[in-house]
Amino acid sequence: MIKLNDIVVKFGDFTALHSINVHVKEGEFFTFLGPSGCGKTTTLRTLTGFIEPVSGTVEVKGRDITHVPIEERNIGIVFQSYALFPTMTVYDNIAFGLKVKKLKKAEIDKKVRDIAKKVELSDEQLGKAVTQLSGGQQQRVAIARALVTGPAIICMDEPLSNLDAKLRVQLRNELKKMQRDFGITTIYVTHDQEEALTLSDRIAVFNSGVIEQIGTPNEVYNHSETEFVCNFIGDINRLSPELAGQLAGVDPRCHNYIRLERVRVGGQPREKDLCLEGRVESLEYYGLYIKYTIALGCQTVKVIEKNDGVNIYEPGQAVTVLLNPRDVMSYEEVAAK
Amino acid sequence: MSRNLHRRLDAALIVRLVGLCFFVYLFFGFMLLPCLNTLTSIFNTKNAAGERDPFAVIRFFFAGSMGKYVWNSLKLALCLIVTVNVVGVSIVLLTEYFDIKGAKILRLGYMTTMIYSGVALVTGYLFLYAPDGILTSALKNAFPNANANWFSGFNAVLFTMTFACTSNHALFLRNAIRGIDYNTVEAARNMGAKPFKVLLKVVFPTLVPTMFSLTVMTFITGLCAMSAPTLLGYDSINPEIVRLAGSSTADESFPQARAALLSIILAMFTILLLTVLTAYERRGHYLSVSKTKARLQKQKITNPVANVLAHIYAYVLFVIYMTPVVMIVIFSFQTFGAIRMKKLDLTQWTMLNFFGSRDYEYLTSRGTYKLRKGAISGLFANEATLGGIKISFILSLLAAALACVIVVVACNYIFANKKKKSGTVLEYCLLFPWLLPTILICYSYRTYFNAENIWYVGNQNLYYAEGVRLLLVVAYTVVRLPFSLRMVKASFYAIDEELEDAARNLGAGSLRTFLKVKLPIILPSVLAVFALNFNYLFTEYDMSATFASSYGTTYAMVIQAMCAEEGLYGYNVNASGRRCASTVFIMLVSGLILYLVYGVGARDLGERLEARDRRRKRREKWLGRMKRA
Repeated sequence: MIKLNDIVVKFGDFTALHSINVHVKEGEFFTFLGPSGCGKTTTLRTLTGFIEPVSGTVEVKGRDITHVPIEERNIGIVFQSYALFPTMTVYDNIAFGLKVKKLKKAEIDKKVRDIAKKVELSDEQLGKAVTQLSGGQQQRVAIARALVTGPAIICMDEPLSNLDAKLRVQLRNELKKMQRDFGITTIYVTHDQEEALTLSDRIAVFNSGVIEQIGTPNEVYNHSETEFVCNFIGDINRLSPELAGQLAGVDPRCHNYIRLERVRVGGQPREKDLCLEGRVESLEYYGLYIKYTIALGCQTVKVIEKNDGVNIYEPGQAVTVLLNPRDVMSYEEVAAK
Repeated sequence: MSRNLHRRLDAALIVRLVGLCFFVYLFFGFMLLPCLNTLTSIFNTKNAAGERDPFAVIRFFFAGSMGKYVWNSLKLALCLIVTVNVVGVSIVLLTEYFDIKGAKILRLGYMTTMIYSGVALVTGYLFLYAPDGILTSALKNAFPNANANWFSGFNAVLFTMTFACTSNHALFLRNAIRGIDYNTVEAARNMGAKPFKVLLKVVFPTLVPTMFSLTVMTFITGLCAMSAPTLLGYDSINPEIVRLAGSSTADESFPQARAALLSIILAMFTILLLTVLTAYERRGHYLSVSKTKARLQKQKITNPVANVLAHIYAYVLFVIYMTPVVMIVIFSFQTFGAIRMKKLDLTQWTMLNFFGSRDYEYLTSRGTYKLRKGAISGLFANEATLGGIKISFILSLLAAALACVIVVVACNYIFANKKKKSGTVLEYCLLFPWLLPTILICYSYRTYFNAENIWYVGNQNLYYAEGVRLLLVVAYTVVRLPFSLRMVKASFYAIDEELEDAARNLGAGSLRTFLKVKLPIILPSVLAVFALNFNYLFTEYDMSATFASSYGTTYAMVIQAMCAEEGLYGYNVNASGRRCASTVFIMLVSGLILYLVYGVGARDLGERLEARDRRRKRREKWLGRMKRA
């Protein structure tokens, strides 16, 4: 469906994207994930036509659109700020693209009301100014405006970043449902790894203008291909060479990592488990789970334990920590560029 | 590339070329060349022998009395810095910082200068304090030995301008003091600082940048003062330039070159001060680092004596601000007889100062009575006044609109070419008039276009007959460009770049994006700038006085003329009454414009829709009641 082939983007002397290659399947929810300034938005803007690459091609459904003007690409965008026109009503915002296409008034009206119904915007809300709507309603207007012209692809640039935590989770679910209902190919940009993991069919993890890994959420989380991906996705413990050396089959010369939830406190040891005595240094209470910092002598590790309301360890308490070599992700040291 | 795109590019190129030609024409034709001509005219003087003597004017300046005008202007500007800052800071502290009873009413009083300034204000003060003014007459009655001419010259100008120039303090310093994080005040108090120390060490330092800008603005205003020195009789630069511009070589030595030299001296001072201001602004401001700003709470003056003194001071200032306004409003409804007697007569109310006219019978020197038809005429019935209003209204409207259109188009280009030199060059060209005193621009127009060999205006003498009106419109427009640019540019910053991207993504071209997306967003600001420009120009005096042409007799000039032509030979019997009515009219127009700009115009679409809903509900409720009744 979408192919970005060897895309290179430069801003003056600075190379923002180094030979980016992405293939997105039809109907897929594909996420560009990475820290600020890694090139994910630049890639999105190259796809949508706001940036022209120095080299490489952009293909949609087999057609090269690298030099096609923005308005002729048939790609809908939901912007980070939603970019709703503040001087227009909700209706006029949604109808804007249709008016540009010079559709008949009756047709515009029908399309606007149809899409509004699908994104659950009432007739009354259509007559309101966008400033009179809540954050969630504004997001629905932005999606409706992007979808009403019938684009082949919809691109979303961090559309949840301006919302509070609770609304973000709520809208995340709505977004996924809408994408499934419409069945439209979606490119989603975010720096929030949790958002990427919950929403995406596949994720491309960006770092300094290159893609470190493309894979399903499970692949990037549990089988991170690079040390950067492993570090960026979720909280993690880096094992000291001394500790790594005690784990069977783990090369202490490598950089070894283990996720917090894979470290266990107490319980029965399993095959190849390394049992270590430790002492709880501190705990962070999150309600659903508790995060412990445990001193193991050679290093401290962070551990997440489900909050069962019974086994809560106090600071200073002696505990047994279990590590399994199977859960360790190892990376050879990469020579500095 | 599609044919469509080609067509679009061609159209865009033509629009750009036309725009470029227009701006080059405007900048070179109406900013640079006339002013350069003024500069060079200084060195084109001839001595008594008819030989060219480039430095004659400069020698004259140092040998003659010209330096007096510069010194007088400097003296006025320097004194104004002190008095305006003292009064300006006082009125802001008294209404915003200290807990003074009746602060809301006091604030209204202190802000009257926003709707009442320039010639209107000076004539208002004259109405009270002139030798035959109401208050002076009352003083004379009480103290027969008092000097009736006490309100003239330097002291009168300083007094009038001190209170006239605090509008900027009332606006900008008030905003600055409201922006103070109250937590910083509380923190200082918590650490044991006394209220006065808090004011001095915590509050004042945050106001310094605003105070500095206001001080520079005050200095420039003092230096370029026109209406107050003219009407109150003080020899400063601007009135002298106007006098010299109208003089001829038959009367005195090279008056035109002397006027040019004075204009250039003014410009040099202005450039110097603006450079200092810009350099200071570049050093940065004291910004609050607080993420959770607390709103300033008014401070109680705990010392009872200080509290009483502060209240007395506040209300004395209030009386000074309000007396001319109240007197003028009251006397605008008094008959000419009462006004002539300078005494409020509760039986002598009339609307004649505004509407209608009446004949007047007067005693001639022969001892006979003569009837002058329509000699008592109202503001809207007097031909000269109405003519002034019409001229000012049309010229101001045209210039205010033109300045807005030019600036909006320019800003759109500047923002689209932010990183290109062409955008920066255009911006600096439009800011150019800011460096020059308005009097220099007008004087330059008057001399430069008073010729028939200026090819780019069709070899026509524009300083002839009705051409003066065109010159006035251009001068008005050019003078308002820097202010308009700064204001409109600020509103362009408010446009989220993603809105433009969204419009383009939805297929809109640059023209459609501008008209449908960007323009509606900046429109309230543009309308505000238009209204403020109009407000300023409608009562503008300095420029029209410099042109001094009967074809360009503006409203302010008519008002100024009313001060002198009271009742001679039965003409203009109620000139003072009409003057009062004019001031009331100006206050109403200015007040209405400010209300439209800051009251109605500041509402966004949501607020407008809500207001519409409220109106609809009220209407339905009212109709329901009617039906039931």
